[in-house]
Amino acid sequence: MGILVKDLELNYRSRGRRNKLHDFQALKDVGLEVHDGEFLSLVGPSGCGKSTFLFLLAGLIRKTNGCVEIDGEPIDGPGLDRGILMQQYALFPWRTVQKNVEFCLEIKGVRREERSVIAARFIDLVGLRAFSHAYPNALSGGMKQRIAIARALAYDPKILLMDEPFAAVDEQTREFLHEEVLRIWKATKKTIVFVTHSIDEAVYLSDRIAVMSGSPGQVKEVIDVDLPRPRLKGITKSTPEFAAIRLKVWNILQEAGGSSGLKLEELIEDSAGL
Amino acid sequence: MKGLIGSIYRRSIVIVAVLLAWTIVPLFIKHMFMPSLIDVLSALVKMLETGEMADHILSSLARAGAGVVISVVLALPLGVLLGWYPKIEAYLNPLFTALRNTSILALLPLFVLFLGVGEISKVAVIVFGCFFPMLLSTIDGVKNVDPVLIQSARSMGISPFGLLSKVVVPAAMGFIISGFRLVCSISLLVLVGAEMLGAKSGLGFLIYRYEQSFQVPKMYAGILVMIVLGILVNWLIGKLERRLTIWQSVTDKETA
Ligand SMILES: Nc1ncnc2c1ncn2[C@@H]1O[C@H](COP(=O)(O)OP(=O)(O)O)[C@@H](O)[C@H]1O
Ligand SMILES: [Mg+2]
Repeated sequence: MGILVKDLELNYRSRGRRNKLHDFQALKDVGLEVHDGEFLSLVGPSGCGKSTFLFLLAGLIRKTNGCVEIDGEPIDGPGLDRGILMQQYALFPWRTVQKNVEFCLEIKGVRREERSVIAARFIDLVGLRAFSHAYPNALSGGMKQRIAIARALAYDPKILLMDEPFAAVDEQTREFLHEEVLRIWKATKKTIVFVTHSIDEAVYLSDRIAVMSGSPGQVKEVIDVDLPRPRLKGITKSTPEFAAIRLKVWNILQEAGGSSGLKLEELIEDSAGL
Repeated sequence: MKGLIGSIYRRSIVIVAVLLAWTIVPLFIKHMFMPSLIDVLSALVKMLETGEMADHILSSLARAGAGVVISVVLALPLGVLLGWYPKIEAYLNPLFTALRNTSILALLPLFVLFLGVGEISKVAVIVFGCFFPMLLSTIDGVKNVDPVLIQSARSMGISPFGLLSKVVVPAAMGFIISGFRLVCSISLLVLVGAEMLGAKSGLGFLIYRYEQSFQVPKMYAGILVMIVLGILVNWLIGKLERRLTIWQSVTDKETA
């Protein structure tokens, strides 16, 4: 499924001092196209509206103006054609892993036996079968995120929206999860919109990268990542092509001026980890 | 094992000492209002044998139970709704605060006036005493649900009712159970007061009557049963709480 966004504008309305209403423009003139089956990353400084944009696509908040379509249909609220992964995992702590993955199937009214078969399949896919009956509190951050992925995949959305999914896990786990996501993406052929503040992550994973700038949030430029697939851990990242694309993204972010979330040191640190 | 014994020792030593003192001291210092624990226990055994105690316990438990059940059944759904729609709650909050801070027994004469001296007024006053704490805990619980969980469920296209029953209420369960615990102890407090101020049965009535007729050991027997009942209720709720919040304490050990 493809996504088409044109002239998108979003204002947050909030009550300030003396209870006065005022609007804050979080997104302005956002235009973007995501192709069917594509892996697209969204990078930009923090506060530039990445989460807001993703929530709009998920149907969790309503646009103020403009056009957001999925396969030609305007988005009207949440739907099972899209699944969103939040940075904080958002697993239900009172449910076991299995019951978390079954959650949406339960809502849809799928029968119990069928539910557990489907859930088991996706728990297998993320490699956590041994933890089916564990509660989320007993799992590490990386495992929680994999369960969240399994839960989102269980209802078979065509589009997967991921909001900085690996920001809170350690470096090694993150690299492992990159391979996982690429493997799952290949196996399930989903369209993925992936928000991150790490340029490396975006370049390594994506077909294209949309670079955003802040206040108000806009898509500054979309860059093709024409690195061959399969991407190979340890090799892809040390190619000159990889470095060139990374530099290009970085330059755009600098030009955009909103470099508050992405600093040169961070970029160097990222490169040092290769 | 050593730790367990130590823990039992720490938890019981003071109580044992108090009971011992209660047994021994009155043997030397005699006072009409301070019978020895031995006398109290023998009075208790007699009352148990005649079935007198059981009758009073049952009628007290029936009132407290009815009061708790009714107040929870009323307060839980209302609390969920008010927690979910904070605009309505903002209007009602001052009223709740005022009513919650009113001495419940001060209102008992009012209940008697309207509902008579029978069971209804006693249960009603317990309901009144329990309703607001339960309501306010539930509202608190619902307001404190992690918004991320709500968004996550909404992104899956959950219905409003499904959202409340499958996400909001389970997520608020910690607050709801503490409310329930509070309400159970309030129900016993109010119950005894209400039974002392006009009843023909119940532990409060029993304690009050034997005090009036100077049958002091029997009075103490009633008080002792009251204490044991309180401990028992607390213990049962503790078990319920652990059962309902098992997910909070699990570790990898239980995943095998
Ligand atoms: N519910 C809200 N009400 C008002 N302003 C908000 C709300 N959510 C986010 N914002 C503001 O919108 C801007 C974009 O936020 P967000 O989409 O979370 O950015 P990002 O995910 O890129 O860090 C920020 O300035 C933030 O303060
Ligand atoms: Mg964000």
